Amino acid sequence: MTNVQRQSYPYWFLLPAFAIFALMFLVPTGTGIYYSFTDWNINTEKINFVGLQNYRELFTDKKLVAALSHTLVYAFSVTLLRNAIGLGLALLLNTKVRLRGLFRTVFFLPYMISPIIIGYLFTAIYHPANGLLNGALRLVGLKFMAVDWLNDPRYALLSTIFVDVWRTAGFSMVIYLAGLQMIPTELFESASLDGARYPQTFRYITFPLIAPSLTINLTLSLIGTMKVFVMILVLTNGGPGYATEVINTYVMTSFSLGLYGQGTAANMLLTLLIVLIGFPVLVLLRKREVAL
Amino acid sequence: MKRSNLPNIILFVICAALSLLVLTPVAMIAVNSLKNSRESALFGLNLPKDFVWKNYAFVLSKPAVVRGFLNTILIAVAAVLVTNVSAAMAAYIIQRRPGKISRAVYYTFLLGLVIPVSIIPTIRLMMNLHLHNTYQGIILYFIAVNLPFTIFLFAGFMSSVPKEMDEAAMMEGCGRLRMFFQIILPLLSTVFVTSTIVVAIAVWDDFLGPFYLISDYKKWTIVLNIYSFVSQYETNWGVVFAFLMLVMAPILALYFALQRHIISGVTAGSVKG
Repeated sequence: MTNVQRQSYPYWFLLPAFAIFALMFLVPTGTGIYYSFTDWNINTEKINFVGLQNYRELFTDKKLVAALSHTLVYAFSVTLLRNAIGLGLALLLNTKVRLRGLFRTVFFLPYMISPIIIGYLFTAIYHPANGLLNGALRLVGLKFMAVDWLNDPRYALLSTIFVDVWRTAGFSMVIYLAGLQMIPTELFESASLDGARYPQTFRYITFPLIAPSLTINLTLSLIGTMKVFVMILVLTNGGPGYATEVINTYVMTSFSLGLYGQGTAANMLLTLLIVLIGFPVLVLLRKREVAL
Repeated sequence: MKRSNLPNIILFVICAALSLLVLTPVAMIAVNSLKNSRESALFGLNLPKDFVWKNYAFVLSKPAVVRGFLNTILIAVAAVLVTNVSAAMAAYIIQRRPGKISRAVYYTFLLGLVIPVSIIPTIRLMMNLHLHNTYQGIILYFIAVNLPFTIFLFAGFMSSVPKEMDEAAMMEGCGRLRMFFQIILPLLSTVFVTSTIVVAIAVWDDFLGPFYLISDYKKWTIVLNIYSFVSQYETNWGVVFAFLMLVMAPILALYFALQRHIISGVTAGSVKG
């Protein structure tokens, strides 16, 4: 078999994909680690190794510390909300409600719109004087809540979080729905014969059985949201002040100032954050592999 | 299946209300794209007083916009083709020839699902290779960032292609390249559809890559054109919304036509093999 294997499954088949991936992804990641320890900037003729200096400077920069904490707050808030809402929507559509196919299509729709378009769309919706949101709030007598959503540092980050939840809740919903539909109907039937009520059925049957959907949803969401960039750029550009600064907008600022070493170091911090939080994904994917 | 105590009519009303939360913002873009600059700045949901179709003509009269669409299509087609074929080849070996090498290669690819791109070093690398600001450069970038997911998808699917197919083909004296391209690839057509959807949407939507890697506006993809257009015409929301509609409408039309494929495509890998 080994001989046959060697003949019909040659390793060079791996080469086209691996060569492109190595050159365009692994090499910049590797050299990035090195550059993050250098003074590389727009004026340097020669790049010098400076050890941990970039990292030390980053951690004494209030703006970077804010960007780090905003990235975490953003990622965890979006993940929590979109999963709560996504699960709610999935439970809603996992009933015999009429037109549920159409509702599924509608709830997933925002995910199909480019994030940049959604950014501009919500710039309009959040407009303090004319936007739909404040219009609706005034209409129902909640005038005191009609604030300047994107330009008030107290609400700006929260406002960007809501936009991403609006965009991605339908994505989580679809994953939960698939999980729910794999639960055998008999389980619910026998539970209801035993007199179980909805909260109990949910607690002891539904929730444990959709655990795989939950894990994949949480990890995908955490990894994805920590990489947030264009939506923040378009909605607030990191402002007001640096109330919505995240790591990727910080990297962009460093880059436009010509501080390449520093920007690369900030990028490296994002990598570190994601690996520490997102590593479970790899473990998860490995488990899935067995099931495939 | 249904165990809820709520009557279906209440569930229906809740669903309808939630649908409004999704559809109203989209409708807002649509109606305001047909208003003049003063009326569109009010962001109202009412129909326009006069339908200003000129907004669309104005956007399309910009050579940069048309070029942006063409660039995006060119880059997406090239990235989709190379990603699909090279991912299928790699996944074929990874799945059919298990061992240390295959495993190491596979896990290396999977790293790409987690780790973010180091963008500034990528620019430097592209400059050194004279690929910065070129179609080839951005296409290679998109292939590299999309390969991990595509390989993951193909490797999962490949196990459902019976190995006997390979053996039978070998008995016939089929060469390994011919065997792969004529026998294995056609069996993967469903997963090709999925990965094509995923990669095409990724290229269509991605901002970070083109933003850093293409400074020549003649090679911009459509999202960069949106970005620069809005900063130029931010006082006239009517034309901005018309532009957003032009980018959004074809995708949404496609979505309504193929929604089953698209939803299962975009969520593939997280739902089932």
